Order: sequence, then structure tokens, then C-alpha cells
Amino acid sequence: MAHLKAALSRTLQLALVLWAVVTILFLMFRLMPGNPMAAYIDPTFTAEQQEALMAQFGLDKPLWEQYVIYLGNLLQGELGQSFRYREPVAERILALLPNTLILTFTSLIIAYAFGILAGAYLAWRRGSAVEKVAIPIVLTTRAMPEFWLGMVLLAIFSFWLGWFPAGGTRSAGSDYGGFWGLYTSPDFLAYLALPALTLAIYSQGLPLLLMRSNMLDVMKEDFVTMARIKGLSTWTVVVRHAARNALLPVMTSFAIAVGYQLQGNVVVETVFSWPGLGRELVRAVSASDYPLAQGAFLLIAVVVILMNLIADLLYSLLDPRVSHA
Amino acid sequence: MPELAIARSGLPTRLFRSLRLPLNDRFAVFGLLIYLVFVVTALFADQIAPYDPTEILYTEDYDLAADMRPGQEGFILGTTSLGRDVFSQLVYGTRSALLIGVTAAFMVALIGSLVGLVSGYFGGWTDAVLMRLADIAFGIPFLPFVIVLAAFLEPSIWNVVLAMALVLWRDTARVIRSQVLTLRSRGYVDAARVAGSSDAKIILRHIAPNILPLSFLYGSIAIGWAILTEASISFLGFGDPESISWGYMLQDAFASQALAKQAYYWFVPPGLCIILVVSAGFFITRGYENILFPKLGR
Amino acid sequence: MMSFRKAVTSTALLLVLSAAPALAGDPIRTIEILTRPQAAQPQEFQSVQLIAQEWRKLGLDVNVKVMPWEQMSDVVWYQRDAWDATAWQMVGRPERSDPDEIVYNLFHSSTAEKGYNFIGYVSPEYDAVAEAQRKEVDEAKRKELVFQAQELLAKDQPNMMLVHPKQSFAFDKTVWDPASVVNQSGIGIRNTWTFLSLTPLGEKKDIVLNSADNVQAINPLYISGGVDSWVFELVYDRLARVGPDGLPKPWAAESIEWTGDKTVTVKLREGMKWHDGQPVTPEDVKFSFETAVSGEAPMYAPFASNIEKIDIDGSNITFTLKEPSASFVTSSLAKINLIPRHVWEPIIEDLKTKEENAESHQEQTPIGSGPYKFERWLTNEEIVLSANKEHFNAPKADRWILRIVPNVEAALGMLRSGEINFLAEFGGDPQVLIDAAAQDGDLEVVSTVEMGFRYIAFNNRRPPFNDPAFRRALSAAVDRRLIVKAAFRGFAEPSNSIVSPALSFWHNEAVVKNFETGGEVAAKILEEAGYTLDGDRLHYPGDQKETLAQQ
Repeated sequence: MAHLKAALSRTLQLALVLWAVVTILFLMFRLMPGNPMAAYIDPTFTAEQQEALMAQFGLDKPLWEQYVIYLGNLLQGELGQSFRYREPVAERILALLPNTLILTFTSLIIAYAFGILAGAYLAWRRGSAVEKVAIPIVLTTRAMPEFWLGMVLLAIFSFWLGWFPAGGTRSAGSDYGGFWGLYTSPDFLAYLALPALTLAIYSQGLPLLLMRSNMLDVMKEDFVTMARIKGLSTWTVVVRHAARNALLPVMTSFAIAVGYQLQGNVVVETVFSWPGLGRELVRAVSASDYPLAQGAFLLIAVVVILMNLIADLLYSLLDPRVSHA
Repeated sequence: MPELAIARSGLPTRLFRSLRLPLNDRFAVFGLLIYLVFVVTALFADQIAPYDPTEILYTEDYDLAADMRPGQEGFILGTTSLGRDVFSQLVYGTRSALLIGVTAAFMVALIGSLVGLVSGYFGGWTDAVLMRLADIAFGIPFLPFVIVLAAFLEPSIWNVVLAMALVLWRDTARVIRSQVLTLRSRGYVDAARVAGSSDAKIILRHIAPNILPLSFLYGSIAIGWAILTEASISFLGFGDPESISWGYMLQDAFASQALAKQAYYWFVPPGLCIILVVSAGFFITRGYENILFPKLGR
Repeated sequence: MMSFRKAVTSTALLLVLSAAPALAGDPIRTIEILTRPQAAQPQEFQSVQLIAQEWRKLGLDVNVKVMPWEQMSDVVWYQRDAWDATAWQMVGRPERSDPDEIVYNLFHSSTAEKGYNFIGYVSPEYDAVAEAQRKEVDEAKRKELVFQAQELLAKDQPNMMLVHPKQSFAFDKTVWDPASVVNQSGIGIRNTWTFLSLTPLGEKKDIVLNSADNVQAINPLYISGGVDSWVFELVYDRLARVGPDGLPKPWAAESIEWTGDKTVTVKLREGMKWHDGQPVTPEDVKFSFETAVSGEAPMYAPFASNIEKIDIDGSNITFTLKEPSASFVTSSLAKINLIPRHVWEPIIEDLKTKEENAESHQEQTPIGSGPYKFERWLTNEEIVLSANKEHFNAPKADRWILRIVPNVEAALGMLRSGEINFLAEFGGDPQVLIDAAAQDGDLEVVSTVEMGFRYIAFNNRRPPFNDPAFRRALSAAVDRRLIVKAAFRGFAEPSNSIVSPALSFWHNEAVVKNFETGGEVAAKILEEAGYTLDGDRLHYPGDQKETLAQQ
């Protein structure tokens, strides 16, 4: 019963947040200055065309009516039609989502794998010279603007050394016949390398520092001391006991990191000509393509909200002390 | 006698003391020093910079002074492709960076702390409403939000500050709230209440001083966030062309093919400045964490 | 900002109170000039800074206002009374090789209220010339009229023409035979003719080119972004095409003949096939033109609305026009895409029952009859076309692959590394490109003067810009060589005419040559028109009052 109630209140909360984000989005796009029709100004652009366009996209209706229509459409999973591309927004952003997700997850997996190992190592080597040098370096990588890092990597590894291609997801004109064919091809991996590396360098700091401090915590706990007393080797203690317990909270932070990363992709996708959701959002915003920008924004927001929820659930699952208060 | 001196010290000193600056941490001190250097540069930008950062410069033969290398015609770090002095831009960039960073940090820390304080102290409906607001703020993807604001409002460095004030208070608020909850459950708050202290007095006396370092910690993280966000926004072309920032310089450099021109003097210094200021914030933050959460260990 | 404005206002007040001579008019208010941000439009931004600097020397108080494009176009287009002057640009397109579109739509009084004459230029004398050139089918006589139009504009200066920029493109000369590159006047080497004639030198036979912006649609009934037109010009044929010299040539037509004032007879080329194998028939041609005005393709409607009827006689198609139209071949026959009736008729019928029109219809595989066939489209990443070897003008290359590269720096890097072999768009500094090519050795850069132009639009509705003398003075105040050198780094031609020197047939050279510029010239024009300088502030002539409030 208590579980059911908790689940119900969770769902309600989720619905409230979604509705609020949707409403904020709608208002943000409709109340801002700038006319979406400005994109079509051309010497042959006539008054009739302007009116027809306004009517086609429902912009001639009063604001509240537009809002009601917008909400109604959303409930049916209808995101409207892009001003610029004249095609359903949903189709377009869903076509781009896999690219963005692949980039996000690849970079995060690299970042977490490295961060966890390095974090554990640094905890183990606490107080050593390595640690003294490593921590400031890690902090510094988190202080770099992603696009700057991306441009520098691009200049070094692509323009100068020529190891990796400069942009896109595959070589020109190549056909891998479908989803898996592409994503498992070596060609794709070569294109993925630099953007994923850029994002990974940027995001390894969080898991690293988290892992390290958790390890330090865990290593002070009784069972570790016990293990030590039992005469197990330091390595066994660190890996078998401490690391396993320190790992769980780090994995929780993965969910939140997915949400954050998805937003950060915007910039890196532009640097590496990566056909993803973030770049589309930027382009749609600068072209005043409201439906498309709203759709892309909403999709990112939904992922962020879901990831927050997953992190919350994981957290309460792993740490029974956190109640539903 | 020393006790008397402490008791008499004025509010600024008390405030400063309650900030508990991590002066025993080497990195934190280094971070504070970096801040100091940049603050001084920002204050004396007019004296340090040889030119107005947006002024179009000409050579002695009345040609546009474009793409000058460092040292050429007396330009310390050379000039941009449109004939602006890179060094002056770098110096004035300090000003925007600190302006954005500090105001954003202030807004985030202030709003976050207030919300957290009120929410945690009063609980009940106030708490429920405020925390739902925080949930909503957590549901808004930050960078896309800034992009939309920056694109639609008049280009201005304040858009970033505004967006941060509207969204990023959420993290601070949650942490402060839980801190307040812990503090409230301590004996002396109850004791004060029994003794007839008003809510305002309890908050100001007993709770606020204890959360100040935490607000400051989140504030110093926000400084870095603000500077990085402004840079990203500028890079995407939504920056404010009127006020020269490091992000704007980088955007200008990349758009003018500074990489292809191998104009390192143009795109490396602003990048380094950003890294320095932002990591200074992180260093200070870590110093704080070591004070606030000593169990994390060094 | 506030304090600056306050200071300006109070200085102005002070001047009025203290030393205004009895006869002079009010001091001219602070005038505002709009520009897009430096990040988006560095040359425009720089030009405006330079212009403001020169205008200030005339005793004007000038405020440069930076706005992103969406806001700027919103103000200029929808609030036609609310601005003073703005930077603006016209880009080159093949169909603009005929001057009619610019001559008529930008300055005719009928487009002042809601059309492209957003500056509100109204001159009965000019209207007459613009209408006459539109109807004059005799080329020599029409040329006279177009020349006359340019002279009238030079006299009235409704806009301040700045420059015709030079566009730079590059290609890998180890992949493509440099002799096979076609330079289309006013457009440059990135054009349909080049994509047809590019001849491979070795094993690489794919044209791989870049674009900074995404492709919006490949739709023969929707005029979408500039990049899209590169694609659909290759996939679809037209009855005529604008040739490398800027003049229209028969294309899918064997011949095009004026058989009367208002009748044009076209003979369709034999043996053409759609990409699905069906033959191209005169009925398809008729259908294509009728679809444009069916209400389902509003953007193409203006290009076919002058057609009264279309008659078919064997392979001959006769167009009867409502009004005589000199530019008909360029602006209609070379503009309307030929589409297969068997594909589009059911679609159009279906759309007639719906709210959307054909602009929203994206075919899975667009079917045209053009020299390239559609193969694949990866959203925001690339478009692949393959050569239609059966075409009457079959391309020499195998494939045409468009890569979307939003990062300028990356585009140049890709050209150098061979990831692309034709640089079709370059938003950066042309000198960098030329230097890179010199260093690389494999690249060839071609810079050409565009038919498009950059200008400052004056709001002819608002004083003092309603006075031709004032406009003339402001325009004359800036030596265009300054703009060319300091804003365009030499990659532009100074301009005083809406017809680019690239369109040598229509370009009135005298208008540009006889245009005197410089601070003294401007000051003299102002003085002769009665404007006075009080201290260092310019005042209206006579007793003219400032009617517009300080903003």
C-alpha cells in the first residue's frame, strides 16, 4: 500500500514537472520577439503567402487557443510540423536521436571506465606524489570549454596528424545498410573517436573524484579493516571489497550524467559536424523554427527528467536510509 | 582580552570569518590568488589595455591592422582579422568574465540559499511548493534553455546570468534545505524557540551562519559554470558583440580560421584564461569541501 | 546604454537652448543603424561600424544597433515605420541573372506596403521605367530601360549600395581537371554547369562537396534554403537554364521561340526519361506549370501566374501570357521544375482535401528527369546523388555527395585532407583559403564577383531619409574603397548599382564610375540642400522640425 502510494505520488510529480516544462517552453517560444515568417523574406514573398503561412501553422489564432491545440497534440504524441523543413518534427528528431545517444553513451562509458579505475587508483595511492599531481589536472580538464578542447583536438589529431576524420559519422557516400551495420563498422568508430574523446575528457572528472572519495570512505569502514586484519593483500581488499561498495553511488551518478551530457553535446556536435539533436536545436532556434526547437528541447527535457527519476530510484534502492519524505 | 576583541569585531569581520575561507589548503590559496590577479586586472582594465577592445585599428600607412603577429607594430598579442587588439580584448574579457561569474554566482547562491532556507525551516506547504519548483527547474535542460533565451532576447552577457538565476538555484536549494533540516533538528534551535526567539532571529542567528560556507561553495562552482556557459553561447553565435568576453574572442578566432592561420596567440590565451579562472573556482571549492566534509579526506 | 542616450539628449537640448540660429531647423535626432552581430556577419558588422564613423563626421549622432537576424528582419519587414537605416543583403541566384526581380520587386511602389520595397521608395518616374522594362521584349530597348532604372536609383539613392562581394570556392585539382570547371558569371564555380562537366583525372570520381547549413527539403514545389537548390537543380530538369554567361538557354526544350507579343512556343526535347523509366511528355510539362499555380505550391505561384493558358501540339507546347513579359524565359521557364505527372497528380489531388500544401510533401525518393538521380539522404549529414548516364547532358562524375559541415575551420581542414574535394561554401576569410591553397599545392581557389550585393537600406518614409539630398549625402560620405578594403579585405567590388558588373550585359558602368564620394562631397550636398551645422551637430534645413521622438 505504502509502495503504491509512493509510486502514485511519484507519477503525479512527474506529470506536474512535464506539464510545467511544456508550458514554460510554449510561453518562451511564443512570447519572445521575432517573427518566424522572417525566415521566408524574399523579393518574391507576397502578402498572400505571408497570410497563408501564418494560417498553415496556426499562428493567426489567439495565444490560448494555440496553447490548447499544442497541449492536445502533445497528448497524442504529435509535435507539429517544422516551419523550415515542412515535415513532422517527431520524425526528424527521432532520426537524429540515435546519433546523439550513441555519442553520449560512448563518451560516458569511456569517461566512467577511466574515472572509476583512476579514482580507485588515486584513493589507493592516497597522499602520494601521483595523487598530488593528478587531482589538479583532473580539475583543470573540467574547466576547459568543450568546444575549445574539441577544436584543439581537431587541429592536432585531424588536421595535423591526420589520424582521424574531421567531421560526420561515416565516410562520404558509404552505405552500411542500416542501423547496426553502421554503428559496428570501423569507419563509424573512426568518426566517433574525436567527438567521443572530447566529451569523455570533459566528463571523466566527476566519476573520478566521486569514486576516489567513496573509496576513501569505504576503506575506513569496519569490514575493510576486518579484511585487512584477516591478512588479505591490499590489492584484494581494494578491488574485492572497497571498490565494489564504492562503485554503486558512482553508477547512480551515471544516470544524472546522461542528462547533463545530452545538453553539453550541443557544442561538440557543432565542432565535429555530428548530425545530432543538439545541433538541430541550435539551428532551429536561430531559424525561429518554433515547433522543431520545442520538439528537440522537449525530447532532451524528457530524457533529463527520466534520468533524474532513475537516479532517484537507484539512490533510494541502494541507500535504504533515504526515505520518501 | 582576546575574547573581548573577538566579541567586538564588526559585522564584516564576522561575515568574513563565517565564510571560513580555506586558507590552509595550498590549492585553494592558489585559486584565491588567481582570482585576485583577475580582479585587479578587471579593475584596472582601462589602465592596462592599450586600446579600446572594439576599436578598429589601422597601421601607420592607414591600412587595416589585421592579423598582426604578436609584437608586430607594437601589438603585444597581435590583432584579430578585423583589426582589433587581442591583448586589450583579453584584458577587457576579464571584466565580463568576472562580471558574469560573480553576479551569476551571487544570484545562484542567494536564490538557492533563500529557497533552501525557507523550505527547510518552515517545511509543510511552503516546502512542498518550493521543492516542486525545484523539480521543475531540474527538468529544464540548462544549455538549451540559455540558447533559447540568448537567441530571443537582445544579445547580452546578462542572458546567461538570467538563465542561471532562473534555473541553477535548484542544486543549491536542495543541498541547503537538507542542511537546514539537520540544523533544525539540533537541540539549540529548539532551545532558542522555547526561549521565545522569533523565526527571523533563529534563522539569522543560528542557521544562516552555518549555511553560509555551503552557499559560498555553490557560488564558487557557479562562477565557473557561468563563464563556461557564456563561452559556449558565444561560440554558438548567440553572444553579445558589444561586450568583449573570452568566449566571444574564441568564437571570433575560430570564425576567422585562427587554427588555419596558426594564430595561437589569438585562441590559446582566452582558452587559458577561462581554464585558469574556472579551475581556480574548483580549487577553492575543494578547499571548502575539505573543511566542510573533512571525512572525504585528502 | 541609458546614460549614453541621456548624455546625447542633454547635449542636444543644450545646443537648442543656447546657440540655435534663428532660421535653422531642429537638430537631427540620433539616427539608428541596424546590423547583425559580428559573429554571424563580420563584414556587415565591420561595414556598419565604418559607415557610422564616417556619418558622425557629418555632424550626425549615430547609434549602431546590433540585432540577430530574426529580430532585425522582424523590425524591418513588419514594423516598416520603426527604423532609420539597416544593413541588408541580396544573394545571387541564377534566375536573378535577369534584372527584373530586383528592379521591380525592390523599388516598385506596389510592393511598398507589404512586399520587398520595405524601404518605402515611391517614385512614379521609376515605376514607369520598371514597368516598361518588364514588358519590353526587344532586348536592346529593354537594356536602355534597365540602364535608365539604374540612373534613377543613383540619383535618388533610396539605398546606399556598398559592394558586390567576391565569393571564393576551391577544388582539388589533382582530382578534377581544372579546365572542366565552369565559372558562371555572378554565381562562381559552384554551379550546375560545373557539376555536370567536372572531369575526373584519376580513380576518384565522386564530387564530394560541403555546405554549412542543413538541407531543408528536396521538393520541386518548395523554394527552401539556398543549399537545397543545388540539389534540386541537379535532380530536376527545367525547360531552360541560365547559362554560364547569365543568359537563358534552352535545356529540356529543343527550342524556345517568341511567336507573338504574348506567346512563346517551346519544342520539348525527344527521348527524355524520368528516373523511374517513364518518358517525359508535353503533358508532364503542362502539369508542372499548372501545379505551380494550383494553390498547392504558393512559393512557385508568382513564377507561373502570368500564364493565361498552355496548349499542346505534338511535342510543341505554347504558352500564352496575360501580359507581355521580357523575363519570362529566365524567371518562369528556367525556374519551374519539371515534375512527373504520374507521381504528383495523385499527391496533389490528395493535398487539395487537406490543410497542408505540397511544400510539406517530401518524397521518399524524389523522381526527376535531371542529370543526377537521387540516391540517399542522411538527415543533417549527407546527400548522395548518382549520375544519370542516360541524360542528354550526362555528368562526367559518378556521384555527387553533399556533406553538411557547420564548422568553417573543419571545412577547410577536410578539403586539405581530401575528405571533401570541392569547397562549395566557405564562410571564412578568403585570404586564408588562398594561403592554404598555395601551401598545399593540390588546391585551386577561384574568386568571382557575385551578382548579389550588400547595402544599407534607408527608411524612405522617415525624415530626414525622405529627402533624396540627405540620402545622397549619406551615401556619398563613405568611400566604397574603405568598405572593400577594411571590411571585405579586398574581396569585393565597390558598388553603386543594383546590377552587378558580373552581369555585364545589364550593368550600367557609368553609374558606378561617375559616383563621387568623400566627406567633402557629402558636406557640400548637405549644404546645398540647406542643412546647417551648429557646432558639430547637423540641423534640418529651413524651419523643419524633428517630428520623430528621440528613442
